[in-house]
Amino acid sequence: MIGIYLCDDDDKVRHQIQTALEWKIVAEDYDMKIACSAASAQELLDGVKNGKQGIYFLDVDLKDPQWDGFLLGRELRRRDPHGILVYITSYKDLAWRTFQYHLEAFDYLVKGPEPMGPAAVQCLEEIHARLLDKCQAPEGTFTLRTGDMERHVPLCDILYFETASTPHHILLHTFGSRMDFLGSLNELEDQLGDAFIRVHRSYLVSADKITAVDLKHNKLLIGEHECLLSRVGKAKLRRKMAGSP
Amino acid sequence: MPLLQNLLTTFLDTLTGHLALAIYLLAVTDERVMARRLKKLPLLLLSPFLATLLSAALGAVPKLMMFHYFIISFAVLFMCSLWVRHTWGFGFWRAFAATCMAAVFQVAAATVSWMAYWAISPDNASRFAVAAGLHLGCSIMGSLLLYKLRFGAWFRLLLDSQTPVWRTALLLFGLEAAMEVFLQLLNGVQAQFLAFYYLLVAVMAVLMAAVVIYRARQLDAARIIQAQQDTIARQQLYEQDLEDLRREMRAFCHDYKNLLAGLSQQAVTGDLEDLHHTLSQLDNGFDLGLGAKLQSLTPMGNLQIPQVRSLLLSKLTVMEKKAVECRLEALYPVDNVAMDIWDYVRCLGILTDNAVEAALDTQRPWVEILFLSHDGQVSFRVSNPYKTVIEPGNMWNHGWSTKGPGRGLGLASYQRILERYPNASSCTSWDKGVFIQELTVEDRR
Repeated sequence: MIGIYLCDDDDKVRHQIQTALEWKIVAEDYDMKIACSAASAQELLDGVKNGKQGIYFLDVDLKDPQWDGFLLGRELRRRDPHGILVYITSYKDLAWRTFQYHLEAFDYLVKGPEPMGPAAVQCLEEIHARLLDKCQAPEGTFTLRTGDMERHVPLCDILYFETASTPHHILLHTFGSRMDFLGSLNELEDQLGDAFIRVHRSYLVSADKITAVDLKHNKLLIGEHECLLSRVGKAKLRRKMAGSP
Repeated sequence: MPLLQNLLTTFLDTLTGHLALAIYLLAVTDERVMARRLKKLPLLLLSPFLATLLSAALGAVPKLMMFHYFIISFAVLFMCSLWVRHTWGFGFWRAFAATCMAAVFQVAAATVSWMAYWAISPDNASRFAVAAGLHLGCSIMGSLLLYKLRFGAWFRLLLDSQTPVWRTALLLFGLEAAMEVFLQLLNGVQAQFLAFYYLLVAVMAVLMAAVVIYRARQLDAARIIQAQQDTIARQQLYEQDLEDLRREMRAFCHDYKNLLAGLSQQAVTGDLEDLHHTLSQLDNGFDLGLGAKLQSLTPMGNLQIPQVRSLLLSKLTVMEKKAVECRLEALYPVDNVAMDIWDYVRCLGILTDNAVEAALDTQRPWVEILFLSHDGQVSFRVSNPYKTVIEPGNMWNHGWSTKGPGRGLGLASYQRILERYPNASSCTSWDKGVFIQELTVEDRR
């Protein structure tokens, strides 16, 4: 059962959304229920159960000096990393991309002259579809932190880790990105286990992503990337190849 | 045998000189990650070796006696410049300027060690060791002092300035030559004047450092004034925008009253359908006109660092001119970044320019810029569509660009700036035709 949480200081809007969602849940027999309908951020936070995935409909413009929509979203994200955030706003000029990138917000509803119900119901439908989709493909992720922001990178996307020229910084390469974060290759090597091989002092590569090995020039090719290969790394690589069928 | 010993002494002497020079080079270039540069130190050892050989060869031509020292010095300077060029990745003139600057300090330190060489104990071997030790010791002390005074930062500024580097390099070469002449004069100074002589050398070295710092400060001041003028010009544009907006607001206020009158008329007649229609029209009309304008102004108001706002205003103007659709978001006020503001602005400039350039290749160019600032952390994110093929293996190399050689110095210098900031991290990704660059600066103090 997934809990749905509403937070809006406008009782009418909240009521519209709540009624529409309840009706939809019964009609479609979703495994969800309205867990909390709050008029203030604090009331909502008191009602949230830690560590359980929920769906949140939040007003962007909370009339509260301590909480605005973004900060509330960040707090919820901290408590519920996989929660689904939907924002309710009265104007279209919401800094929506910021919400999307930094909070992974799912969608937003615009308050207008029309009742909010249909839009909320449509949104719930999309959420339901996405949850079903997610269930089918569970996969390991690697979490990296820059400041107070977390990124989740699927392990299967990672090509290799490399030490950066700035001390204590590590570069993570995937098929379509390069990320820079604070860390140490030794710790990563321990943390990630057998799927990754330390082929050089400065390189930790995903074993199944290696496309070619150039023993003559002590290099590894991973797609279009070139990695260095040390003597010890070579031995490790041989062992790995001998070990796997 | 004495010949061999002679050669060995010359070699050790030049070797000490080279090491001292390397120490000063680190200070002069404001190097933070020393290990990376020192890794290439063995290559520098080639230079004293060649210098020794050259010295032996020149010894065979007695006519050149007078110029012997200068020829070798120049050769050493040249070889060291090549090493700097290789190690730091500078251009030749830049490398030459840095080498000359370091050499000025090294020669000044050398005079002191020469004195020690003549003054201390008669035993030849220990005399040499003491002199060499003193030379290196002086160099390390001097280098630490230069670090403390942030001399390197000023010097880098001078090298990065608009004036042609070769002019700076030649000026420094002149100073260096003067210093070398001083060193040679040491042979002719009588014992009782040695103290004055050293005082003179020390004053010369300090003066030369002061000239460099003065020149750099002057440039810095000029740069700041230029930037301030730019800022003022752009702020005026911004104010013009605000003024237009105010006028529009008044017009809207006027229309609004008329519209309300019309609406109440419709309400009286009870035509709900019509009422609905007019209302949504009003809503859309607001979003398209005033709403859009207000939206574009809100984030700009949140960029509270003048340099950053100025940069963004100028980039937005460029984008408007080139018909690149731009979206800017700054949810919270950006008022402090934990990094040198000019460096930060340079980073933003490079990333935005790259984004605009890449977006222009596409059918419908757009650029999206997000700032998010909270808890002392500022993250910047710029995304754009692209059409060219991304080469992840090459992208970060110096001078790589899809536009051919000689371009694309941007990303390389972006990297170089960030190397000095352990509290900054960058992230690059490209997916489904959208290229994204992120730069997060944390305040760790």
